[in-house]
Amino acid sequence: MSDYTDKRVVITGGTNGIGLATAKAMVDKGARVLVTGRTPESLKNALATLGPEAIVVASDAVADIDALVRRAADELGGVDLLVLNAGGTASSIVEDTTESLYDNLFELNTKAPYFTLQKFLPLLPAGSAVVLTTSVSNTKGIATTSVYSATKAALRSMTRTFARELVDRGIRVNAVSPGPIDTGILERTMPADAARQFLEQIKATNPMQRFGEPEEVAKAIIFLGFEATYTTGTELLVDGGASDL
Amino acid sequence: MSRYDGKNVVITGGSSGLGLAAAQYLVDNGARVLVTGRSRDTLERAGRQLGDAAVTVASDASSSAAIDALAARVEAEFTTVHALVLNAGVGSFDPFDAVTEQTFDEVFAINTKGPFFTLQRLVPLLAEGSGVVLTTSIANQTGWDALSVYSASKAALRSMARTLSRELLPRGIRVNAISPGSIDTGKLDKEAPDKAARLKAQFNESSPMNRWGHPAEFAPAVAFLAFDATYVAGIELVVDGGESQL
Repeated sequence: MSDYTDKRVVITGGTNGIGLATAKAMVDKGARVLVTGRTPESLKNALATLGPEAIVVASDAVADIDALVRRAADELGGVDLLVLNAGGTASSIVEDTTESLYDNLFELNTKAPYFTLQKFLPLLPAGSAVVLTTSVSNTKGIATTSVYSATKAALRSMTRTFARELVDRGIRVNAVSPGPIDTGILERTMPADAARQFLEQIKATNPMQRFGEPEEVAKAIIFLGFEATYTTGTELLVDGGASDL
Repeated sequence: MSRYDGKNVVITGGSSGLGLAAAQYLVDNGARVLVTGRSRDTLERAGRQLGDAAVTVASDASSSAAIDALAARVEAEFTTVHALVLNAGVGSFDPFDAVTEQTFDEVFAINTKGPFFTLQRLVPLLAEGSGVVLTTSIANQTGWDALSVYSASKAALRSMARTLSRELLPRGIRVNAISPGSIDTGKLDKEAPDKAARLKAQFNESSPMNRWGHPAEFAPAVAFLAFDATYVAGIELVVDGGESQL
């Protein structure tokens, strides 16, 4: 078991954080993995982490869907696990939220996965699986996340509808819902002091008193992708108990 | 080396159906298991199937004395437990107006109180980092005919996955639930041989995957929650072919 030799895996947003950890775990177990990312830095980092076996593709999650599907068809022929993990965040209280912030985030987090899945369908054989990355915020009210949470709530809903529409083709669709995961994104996007303070606060309030590791989410994605053969339409929480306790 | 080498696992209701499938999967991957059951015949068969890595113990999940005896036996066999699967349970299919107080008490004793006190007694043996898995049911989320007592007993158990997680996390113990839908354990053929074929065909027709689940599809979910889901606590993982979601 735990051997994924020759399984074909595509991971959008697979050059850092949760996506990269998933790619690494799959490569280590023999899968053929294609990951996408945007920044030259993250693409280079992914190449270094994953090694020459992996296919690392510079691809904008919104603009380059058709090209990505062609590339996956050329490189892999078909896809056994599609992980739609690319997404963005935004922090803005409602009165400051502009229409362009709203549109851009829905486009990236909701519309792009929708059409990416639609266009990948011809490559997904019976027995394949799709995993969407949602977020624990989609069932909670957390200040400054109104748009982000709504984009992920829409994605969680699609998980159900996709699952229903695709079940007859033998394709399972599930979501993984991460809570606070230490991907380094806060340190990269916030002033050092603010980031540290925020991290400490989350640690103190999480039931496990710690952040999750990207590798812990990767295990859940792989479980849903390959082992959960009688599970479809669900959302699997990986949040240290934050939602339930 | 196998994935669960050196791990000691206790599975109540582990001598048949879902529990036995989980035990087999864990043994196949290197674990030692102690399974309980009520019928000697079933236990003997399970023991033969699972081989040397398994200990079988006759134990009534609803009896305090039996739970105490089980804890003593587990301590003697394993000293330390790395995963506890509280899977023993009983079905009950009486229409609401026909439910007797005796049925009500029996079902809650086995499905709710039994797991609660089994966990309480076994907590001192659970290693830091261990996982507890409770078998609930998708019935606890919905209203089905003739399942009022069963569904309520499982809803109470689902609640315990949350509260006991909260109370045991400081000791490094995670508690989660796994919620099976229609999985073909052979029980239906045994309990309602005249209706089994028709009920199965009906479900095949109406269920999203157009089939029953296989017990072997339940087993990896148990292993995942028990050992791999290290940042997961208090959840209920559904294994139902999409029935409760679609």
